[in-house]
Amino acid sequence: MSKVMLEVKDLTTKYITRFQEDIYAVDHVSLEVEEGKSLGIAGESGCGKSTLALSLMGYYFPPLHYTSGEIIIDGRNITGMDPDDVRKSILGTEISYIPQSAMNALNPTQKIIHFIEDVIQAHEPSQTKEEIHELARGCFESLGLPASVLQQYPVELSGGMKQRTVIATSVILSPKVLIADEPSSALDVTSQKMVIKMLKNLMEKGFIKSLIFITHELPLLYNVTDDIMVMYAGQIVEKGTAKEVVFDPLHPYAKGLMGSIIVAEEGLREHKLTAIPGVPPNLKDPPSGCRFAERCGYARPECQVLPVGLRDLERGRAFRCLHLEKELRDAYRREGELNAR
Amino acid sequence: MKHTIRQVFHSGKFVFGFSIFVAVLLIVIVYPLIITDPPLGIISQGTFFEPGIYVNVYDSIGSERYILNLDDATANRIAGRLGDKERLDMKEWLLAYGIPESEIDIADTEQLLGLWENHYDPKSPIAGMTNAQRNYYIRLDASLGGLLSTEGAIIAVNNPDTGTLEEKKVVGQSDYVNVGQVANVRVLPLGTDNFGRDVLTELVKAAGVSLQIGLVAGIIATLIGLTLGLLAGYVGGLVDDVIMFLTNLFTVIPGFVLLILISYSIGQERRGAATVAAVIGFTSWIWTTRAVRAQVISLRSRDHVNLSKLSGHSIAYIIFADILPYIASYVVMALILQISTAIIAEASLSILGLGPRTSEVPTLGLMLNWAFIYQAHILGKWWAYLPVLVTIALITFSMNLMNTGLDQVFNPALRE
Amino acid sequence: MKGYRRYFLNKLGWFLVTFVCGFILNFTLPRLMPGDPVAAIVARMAQGMSDATGVQAIYEQYTELFGTNRPMLEQFFIYVRNVLRGDFGFSFSMYPRTVADVLKSAIGWTMALQFPAIIVGWLIGNTLGALAAYVKGGFDKVLMPISIFVSNFPAFGMAVFLLVIFGVGLEWFPTSGGYGYDMIPNFSWGFIWSVIVHYQLPFWSIVVIAIGGQAIGMRSMAIYELNADYVKYARFMGIKDRKIIGYVFRNAMLPQITGLALAIGTMVGGALFVEIVFSYPGLGYTLLNGVMGQDYPLISASTLIITVMVLSANFIIEILYGVIDPRIKAAQAD
Repeated sequence: MSKVMLEVKDLTTKYITRFQEDIYAVDHVSLEVEEGKSLGIAGESGCGKSTLALSLMGYYFPPLHYTSGEIIIDGRNITGMDPDDVRKSILGTEISYIPQSAMNALNPTQKIIHFIEDVIQAHEPSQTKEEIHELARGCFESLGLPASVLQQYPVELSGGMKQRTVIATSVILSPKVLIADEPSSALDVTSQKMVIKMLKNLMEKGFIKSLIFITHELPLLYNVTDDIMVMYAGQIVEKGTAKEVVFDPLHPYAKGLMGSIIVAEEGLREHKLTAIPGVPPNLKDPPSGCRFAERCGYARPECQVLPVGLRDLERGRAFRCLHLEKELRDAYRREGELNAR
Repeated sequence: MKHTIRQVFHSGKFVFGFSIFVAVLLIVIVYPLIITDPPLGIISQGTFFEPGIYVNVYDSIGSERYILNLDDATANRIAGRLGDKERLDMKEWLLAYGIPESEIDIADTEQLLGLWENHYDPKSPIAGMTNAQRNYYIRLDASLGGLLSTEGAIIAVNNPDTGTLEEKKVVGQSDYVNVGQVANVRVLPLGTDNFGRDVLTELVKAAGVSLQIGLVAGIIATLIGLTLGLLAGYVGGLVDDVIMFLTNLFTVIPGFVLLILISYSIGQERRGAATVAAVIGFTSWIWTTRAVRAQVISLRSRDHVNLSKLSGHSIAYIIFADILPYIASYVVMALILQISTAIIAEASLSILGLGPRTSEVPTLGLMLNWAFIYQAHILGKWWAYLPVLVTIALITFSMNLMNTGLDQVFNPALRE
Repeated sequence: MKGYRRYFLNKLGWFLVTFVCGFILNFTLPRLMPGDPVAAIVARMAQGMSDATGVQAIYEQYTELFGTNRPMLEQFFIYVRNVLRGDFGFSFSMYPRTVADVLKSAIGWTMALQFPAIIVGWLIGNTLGALAAYVKGGFDKVLMPISIFVSNFPAFGMAVFLLVIFGVGLEWFPTSGGYGYDMIPNFSWGFIWSVIVHYQLPFWSIVVIAIGGQAIGMRSMAIYELNADYVKYARFMGIKDRKIIGYVFRNAMLPQITGLALAIGTMVGGALFVEIVFSYPGLGYTLLNGVMGQDYPLISASTLIITVMVLSANFIIEILYGVIDPRIKAAQAD
């Protein structure tokens, strides 16, 4: 059994609005990422994936507040850790985050190398400038970035270059877990491929030990991550290996996601193009039952009212759906009946 | 549109600024209807009368008399003429004269007056006294006459036949008149200015004129800015380059310099209020042009504009139907800003002496100009300039508040 | 440094162009107005005179002096030649002093007062605005309304306000002049001290006005920058807040410098009015005297000098910006 790099148990975090309302953007989420593995998190905008990422970092700035649950990174429980400790010993060194539209993540008036100096000195103040430069050069070159980039300002780099630079700076301290939030969404197709290749490279080259890849394009994760987790309205609705979720989605939402995208991949071309009508529920006042019910084609009246939990199947496969539960129970019963016969 | 208006009036800042502004407008409009005196009429002989209620003494003699017996009447009377300063001065004189300090008690009016009466001599040589001081003591002495007496004053009228004074009436020390029954009472809440004009009436009129000038100048500037901005933004190309060049030029060359030069060159005779307004309008369109142009540029690539272009609508149609409605909010804000800037510009010009002709209408700036020339601020005649400044501040403050409020409504990003 | 060359030349060219335009405007505007300026001047000068021939003689003398009897273009070149020689003609209101003579001292006083005051005000205003954005809470809630109020207060209003409170009311500072009435300019300590004392009220008036204007702008900029992506990312990477604040303020400062360049014209204008209120012997006061005395050459020369001052300040600030913003150098290098 490989080491578990990141273990999240029942994490709940909320936003407190100006009017003192609680919005539970991350609702009892549990996940696990092993060493050498990658996890993809898919879901539409506003489903809580970015909030989940922020929460995993222990990065709580108002209006985001931690409510309950545990986060363990490489055996180290960082729940409730002092923010200053988190800043010094966790952020960037244990777990690192590449924000959405990473192109704007760089200070426009600072040379890349100076930023890297600041980052490293914030964690290891004893490093000299030469050592830092060596480290930076080595890191950049092994990731396919020319060392000349270090001496430039962000304005002199192209969009794709900036993205890759940000990736490089995020892993310069060799964090155990890297969270990439929609790293390829704002780029053209060629750059997209380069970024994905670079991310996969990171694990091979040993810069990171595990990867979490967040996106709204579910099929994109097929060749990128080992496992996939689908989120909707702050909850996990499906979990499984990439192959399982992409080729055999269980949850109606996941099915919808796969059906609503044109994919050129083999075996998926038969799917008809469908859009998922409606919009996600307002998390200020979530329905007591299934949150996807009002957009779901399989919904029955009780779906909106009865609470539905995440049902674990074997080997990390899970889903959250009453309709499916019933189907599976029926299938098991039928199997049981068959076996009995 | 209705929704926008509702939002606008929900904005605290806007409502606050708007209320102040409307209050000022109401005062400007309603006051002259009640008080119909000409604002530039000189009503006082002498300069800078303090604010207060001025009661005609002659009429009060003839008014119905009432007797009031008040305990502190005597003390007030004495205090009015023999204040602390006067007492100290008297003590000083007495000390210099040679009276030992132990014998002088300035709190004891009777004793003090007694000492004074016994010893004061205008001719006695006190060392180190200047002529002015000597005269002061003479005046002081004269004013003390009859301070302690309880007799009334006698009003005598000259008999045309005999040429002697005949006693007509006695005014007792406890005789009071009801101010409401006195024929001529004038309330001067802000006193008079250096010319002898009622400051309050003048101020209200001046505020009105300044507002009008501001409005005219603001409208002119906004129209110019709007036109140039639209042209530069929508037509682009050479037109844009030329307009931008002009705008940049006039941003750097100080606007007030041009204002001064033009105002001066027009000459005093031709500088009526309307002319000044026009001049201000023609020199302050820079900011609006730039703002409008920026908006138009971002709008011209929008879908609905492209749709119109594809449909073959003329440039004029596109500008009026597709672009103007979207920049309406900016234009309104720009107008408010221009008006408030224009009011200050007029005030600045007037202080320099380059404002509208002085003989026809007062403006806020002119009032300040007169106050400064006649040294009101140094003499401590605060009522001649402070209310004017407060008015200017109120007007510009309320307008800018409205603007900020509007800005927050139209630009949700700025909301707190 | 090579990267700067293009930027520098660009700004220099712009400076020259605006200067020429300003110069031409300064010359032509008054002369475009109908009427004969000389006649008006002479009329007033000769008010006491009853001798018609005397008046005529004066009129002819001044016409010759000003060349108003020659075509406009020729007048222009004469004017340019004179200006280059430093000859602005005679001052009407202070005859026989020359305009150049009157201006020489006035310029000195104005520069000594305004530029330090504007810079100090700008620095303090930006610092306060930045603090308000970062510290938030009570400080911000107090600072904002005060700033809004101060920045909307017309410049001369603030000057009068301070004058009345500190000069007349509390009598801490003198209310007019650049130095004591009874003093003759010299380098004695007494004189210098008197200058310093008279300097206070006008100086602080300008500073306060500048603060009000800057604080609000800087606060908005700082708030904007504090919410920028790179701030969040720097935090994610574990960089201390203090360092991040440094980034933010540097970045927020840049547009403020540009803003200063654009606003310098208005600020100088306001400062001139402060001078007038305090009867401070600078260009503002000179201008006022010129207007009151219908001293056309003085007014014309004063406005020209003011224009030059503002244009130069604008130029210097733009160059400074080019030095400070690293992106300029980078963008120009390729």
